[in-house]
Amino acid sequence: MHPPLSLIWFFLTAGISIGLFNFTYFMEFLTLFGKDTALPKHMVLISNVISLVLIGLGAIGASFHLGHKLRAWKAIKRFHTSWLSREAVFSGAYGFTLLIFALLRFFDHTGFWYHFFGIITFILGWLSAFSTAMIYASNRFVLEWNTSISVLYYLNMYLMLGSSAFLALTYFYRKEFVGTYIFLTFLFLALGLAFRLAFNIRQFYIKRPTINEALNLPHNRPIRVLDTGTTTDNYCTEEFYYKKGKELLPSILPLAYILTFIVPLFFVLYMWITGRVDYNFIKFTFLFIVVGSALERWCFFVEGNHVQNLFYGLYPEEGYTLRKGYMERKKTKISYR
Amino acid sequence: MPQYALVIDLNTCVGCHACATNCKEWNTQASFGPLSDFDPYGRNPKGVWYNRIMTYEMGEFPDTQVFHLPKSCLHCQDAPCVPVCPTGASYKREQDGIVLVNYDDCIGCKLCSWACPYGCREFDEADKVMKKCTLCIDRIYDESLPPEHRKPACVLTCPAKARFFGDIEDPNSEAYRMIKERNGFVLFPDMGTNPANHYLPRTETKVHVDEHLLEAENPLFLEVVRRHYKGG
Repeated sequence: MHPPLSLIWFFLTAGISIGLFNFTYFMEFLTLFGKDTALPKHMVLISNVISLVLIGLGAIGASFHLGHKLRAWKAIKRFHTSWLSREAVFSGAYGFTLLIFALLRFFDHTGFWYHFFGIITFILGWLSAFSTAMIYASNRFVLEWNTSISVLYYLNMYLMLGSSAFLALTYFYRKEFVGTYIFLTFLFLALGLAFRLAFNIRQFYIKRPTINEALNLPHNRPIRVLDTGTTTDNYCTEEFYYKKGKELLPSILPLAYILTFIVPLFFVLYMWITGRVDYNFIKFTFLFIVVGSALERWCFFVEGNHVQNLFYGLYPEEGYTLRKGYMERKKTKISYR
Repeated sequence: MPQYALVIDLNTCVGCHACATNCKEWNTQASFGPLSDFDPYGRNPKGVWYNRIMTYEMGEFPDTQVFHLPKSCLHCQDAPCVPVCPTGASYKREQDGIVLVNYDDCIGCKLCSWACPYGCREFDEADKVMKKCTLCIDRIYDESLPPEHRKPACVLTCPAKARFFGDIEDPNSEAYRMIKERNGFVLFPDMGTNPANHYLPRTETKVHVDEHLLEAENPLFLEVVRRHYKGG
């Protein structure tokens, strides 16, 4: 699949925004149970402004992949069936309630309505993230994405981005929680690495359809594409098959692993084991996760193989596997008299 | 519920691209607006087409068959492109089962094309909306046309008469009869989309190489025969 830069941008901005708000409000929420986790007003406002700006920039950026941006409000029409509609509605509502939450904190209203809007924003943020993840995971024609690992992994990435961003804020405003957030960042990084590995390993075991299945022809006959009826690429080949990306993937994917997981894990583990908490380490942990995640999302798109590519002979080769109800591939015998 | 569809005879289709060309011509001049072309005389000519013809070779030499597969929107009975559309621009008509796009509602998010396993939707970069085969809905209901012309442009133009159009749920229609009599099949039956367009299979052709041909005087032919049959 061709990686749309606007969607990678939305992933990063929405991920940091929702992830950061998640931990900011979580600390505020714990005060309801008598815990001493209340954050200074300054810290909450900085966090909320960052989240608001990022979700706003994300929405603007994501609109670049729409042909008609001003019609986006019509997305509400298919809320009951389309994950894209749900994503648009939930992320818009998240931004709106986040603004109210920030205004309440600004005017020092920290009572019932403060927590009411905090909880609503928290839920809307995660519903938005879940809807975005489901756009990919529910696509049954891109088998690499069509798994619950895509959702778990996607949500975990939001937590990774959020906890590392929040770690930077705690360093300045609530230093006693730095240790906790170093641990949480380590936890989400380790989980992220595990989910990403599972996502990649699964790709070796997917039962891929063959061109014979696409054309509904006997499974013991090899089929070759001779001509696709056009001398150049068309919309379908450009959108669903990114040749340059496929060539670069073997180099970019290891780099994405190193930048997203390995280097940040090294920084976090170093701080955790030695107890030497250095702001430069925290800063670079976050920066590496952001840059790595951008590359990782690029790989995610390029790794996806849409089944329509079968008609163009651009689908990964797997030969003819034995599948329920189908014949195993046999060597075609050439008979003459 | 009626379900209009195309039935394409792969045994007769010669891959002449007349259906695709006439589709482009009709749908560019008729009510559904132009199908844009980009750099048409340049190095990388591209454009929006409702119908593309692909050519495949099946089997191993010399027991091979070449067949042409015209592929346009299959107007699936469980169309996966419809529920994913965030604005309801993609819809399936109840009265005839034709899947259409309302260009005034389409936001150009391309999600419907992601949801189509057949690659039958094309994004028009000029109009910024998704376009697809309409089964020439502006022809088939046009009462100003003689009844025999109320068919999709591709059906009318096919020089080999390889295309049939009709209600595949109506036993009196030509399309229904063709599917029943000639074992019509659909593309990607496993995907659960239940496509309405059907294809009529090619009849198997056996090529027998007679002994006297092995002694043919053409040295090139002899070389081919030796290599493939005798392992020489």
